[in-house]
Amino acid sequence: MKRTLPIVIAIATVTVFLMFVGLTSVGQSRGTVGINSGGALPGFSSDTSTPEKALNNFLLDVQKRNWGRAFANTDRTSDAINEQSFIQDWVGSSGGLRSFSALEHFDTRPLHATDSEAQIRVHLHWTTPVGPVEDVRDFRLRHHDDSWKVVWDETPRPNVPAQIVPVNYLRWDLVTGNGSDEWGAHNVDAPHVRIVSMNAVDSSEGVVIMGEVVNEDTVPAFVNVNAILLNGNGGTIDDESSFDKILHVLLPKQVSPYRVDFPHISLSKIKNVRMDVKATLVPASSDPVIGVMNQKLETDAQGHTVLHGELMNESGETVNIPHVIASFYDNSGKVVWVSDGYVEKALLPQSTEAFAVEIPQSVAGKVQNFHVVVNQYSLERS
Amino acid sequence: MSSSTSTAWKGHKLILALALGLLGSFALAQDVTLQVPAGLIAGNAATIGTNGSGSATFYLVGPAASIKREVELGREISLAAKDLQAAGRYVAVVCSSNCTSQVFFVAPGKPVDLSFIVHPSRAPVAENEAISGVALTFDEFRNLVVTPSTVQFQWSTKGSNPMSRSSQTREGIAWFRTSSGKTAGPLQISAAIGNDVSTRRVVQQVASIPCNLRIKGQRTAKGILVETEPIRDCSGNPVPDGTVVTFTARDGAKMSTVDAPVKQDVARATILAKGPVTISAASGVAMGNELRLSGKE
Amino acid sequence: MQTRFHKRVEFAALLLTLIAGGFWHPALAADSSPGVTLNVSKANPRQVEPLTESAILRDYKFAWGSLGAALQSNSLAPLNGPFVGEAASHLAAEVKTQQQNDLTLRYANQRHKLEAVFYSPEGDIAELHDTAEYDFEILAGGKSIHSEHAVVHYIVLMTPGADRWVIRHLQAVPQF
Repeated sequence: MKRTLPIVIAIATVTVFLMFVGLTSVGQSRGTVGINSGGALPGFSSDTSTPEKALNNFLLDVQKRNWGRAFANTDRTSDAINEQSFIQDWVGSSGGLRSFSALEHFDTRPLHATDSEAQIRVHLHWTTPVGPVEDVRDFRLRHHDDSWKVVWDETPRPNVPAQIVPVNYLRWDLVTGNGSDEWGAHNVDAPHVRIVSMNAVDSSEGVVIMGEVVNEDTVPAFVNVNAILLNGNGGTIDDESSFDKILHVLLPKQVSPYRVDFPHISLSKIKNVRMDVKATLVPASSDPVIGVMNQKLETDAQGHTVLHGELMNESGETVNIPHVIASFYDNSGKVVWVSDGYVEKALLPQSTEAFAVEIPQSVAGKVQNFHVVVNQYSLERS
Repeated sequence: MSSSTSTAWKGHKLILALALGLLGSFALAQDVTLQVPAGLIAGNAATIGTNGSGSATFYLVGPAASIKREVELGREISLAAKDLQAAGRYVAVVCSSNCTSQVFFVAPGKPVDLSFIVHPSRAPVAENEAISGVALTFDEFRNLVVTPSTVQFQWSTKGSNPMSRSSQTREGIAWFRTSSGKTAGPLQISAAIGNDVSTRRVVQQVASIPCNLRIKGQRTAKGILVETEPIRDCSGNPVPDGTVVTFTARDGAKMSTVDAPVKQDVARATILAKGPVTISAASGVAMGNELRLSGKE
Repeated sequence: MQTRFHKRVEFAALLLTLIAGGFWHPALAADSSPGVTLNVSKANPRQVEPLTESAILRDYKFAWGSLGAALQSNSLAPLNGPFVGEAASHLAAEVKTQQQNDLTLRYANQRHKLEAVFYSPEGDIAELHDTAEYDFEILAGGKSIHSEHAVVHYIVLMTPGADRWVIRHLQAVPQF
């Protein structure tokens, strides 16, 4: 007992010390070679003598949620911008993905600077419940009274006017029945779902199996696609599922792209691919109807090919976390790529929200057409 | 022969005699016999005859139960109907000083029950050999009746004459296959043996893929409201509610799409587009007409 | 002085005695894993797919291994999974009555020769003939009361379950 007590005290002391270090040093931006990173000082510096330092301090305040100080260091372009809308822009609202996210770190790259104005590109790295999300944003800074301030021109989202939206969406309920166990008496078949295309390609991260699946039945189906890679002997190399890269609930006659990733595997090792689609009956709803507007393939400022567009919520229910899945086709109609991306802001009723998904440069040249579907998660339905 | 050899040979003879004696003891002990009647039917009581005298232990091991009972040799051993309900292979064993066993079979009774499995539960209309059914014949105790029986299959929709087909079971199974009708609605299918045994199932005949998709639209304050005319399959059946129609609008280099479900035969969607726009629709493999709208003034 | 011939005779007699005395334990020759072969060439109206064929073979073998384990140990646990319907209820009843009567059954050196005779149009029912050969022993209170080398004909109904083919019906018949 005499020997144990000092050991316990020592362990407790070290643990508390490590916790303190961990908590106080959290949120330090990490560096990328060739790109300035945020200052890694635990103690905050109020130096805004250069655009880089001013932006760095601003983003550190955002990271630590020091909203008052961050807002004070902005140069607002409109009186409509208040601290509340500024905070909402960063933390999200209405149960959107941003509401559950945290800014893990950021990387800055100065684009240009004069004595009075500067522009800096920032890669914001968020941790979210659906995995890491990267957001690229260009910040403008202005020089005022010997200090640099971040120009804040984000207009608040327009309020959705009060209105009555009839709830007449279609719903399907599933009744399991409580009858006898007689063989053949409870004959309700699983939905008939079919894989209509499959394409296996090598990518920089491994093998990707992609294609489309259709619900040929007259009832909704919960769908999952699995792929098994086989070698020359018929043995299994690996098997994976589509996870969230598929529209899981398919209404009758609805088509969804799917994508199955096999990291660190090369196509040259694969002799055959066995596809398996599992469909089960589920309660479902055809609401909300989400339109995908103004879709356009463009090259962004970083030279990446990106599909931009806007999601429009045609229903009366908030879509908390929209998830966009896009399939890209070549001139023969073959699926050459499937991309997906989560929209960080909630999609309010009767309103729109922008989205963007990237496609690899190796594939971009082949793309002739595309189709976007929207997965969605609503807190009210969970 | 020398005396030592003679002694050794006597010893060997003794060992041999012991061994043969042991073998013989088994033969001598097999004096209890069991007389099992032939042609036993499941669910019928039976008796097994024994000979000899004294008390013994009787065991019966079957497909679904085992019995242990003290019995008197020389008397019949009664087996209740419930002891022989399961058709299959039985082993009856009687043990007194040693054990005697007899293997016998119990056959299924006459068919009084049907298991009827029909697929699919939802069949598109006008599809060749889309519906199939399998009937299995069982006796009162759910033993598979393997002797041939005639199963009558019959199917009909509301307002139509029933169609029927007879099939002989093989190893307890009969099956049929038929095409789906042209009209959506429930298809009643039954399987019957004679007049007393029948089972009914229902297959929902549902509309097939959409056919002749036509759309119309107009500009409103909220955007372009586009809707389909009532959507039917090629047999004239309205497609089920919830069938997805994809509306596509091309406005210069931009494209907008909406996946809208059919409700009461019609699918509707609102598309945001200001300039001249061309709108089309598709559902499954059916493509609709194109709609051209001029730009918003 | 014992001659070599006498020694051989003595040894043979001893061996015979041991055999007659029943000291030869069947378990010494037991093969716990059933051997199964499957012929699907006669299946109709639908052809059995290669994947289905290998699945039925695998799952039938597993089912008989489980059956043997259940009836030897008088435990219901091995029956969960490979058996449904009448097959499951019959085997469960068998185990329970065996427990009551202190009986156990042994199926050793199993060899099953399966032949598919029916495969439904939807692929959801398969009827098979099994010519099964095994060493069968009944023990009462741990003592053998019956042993035989049996050749038994079974009619088997199998249906696909969630993750395997299961035996729904297993019925012995005198002949096919």
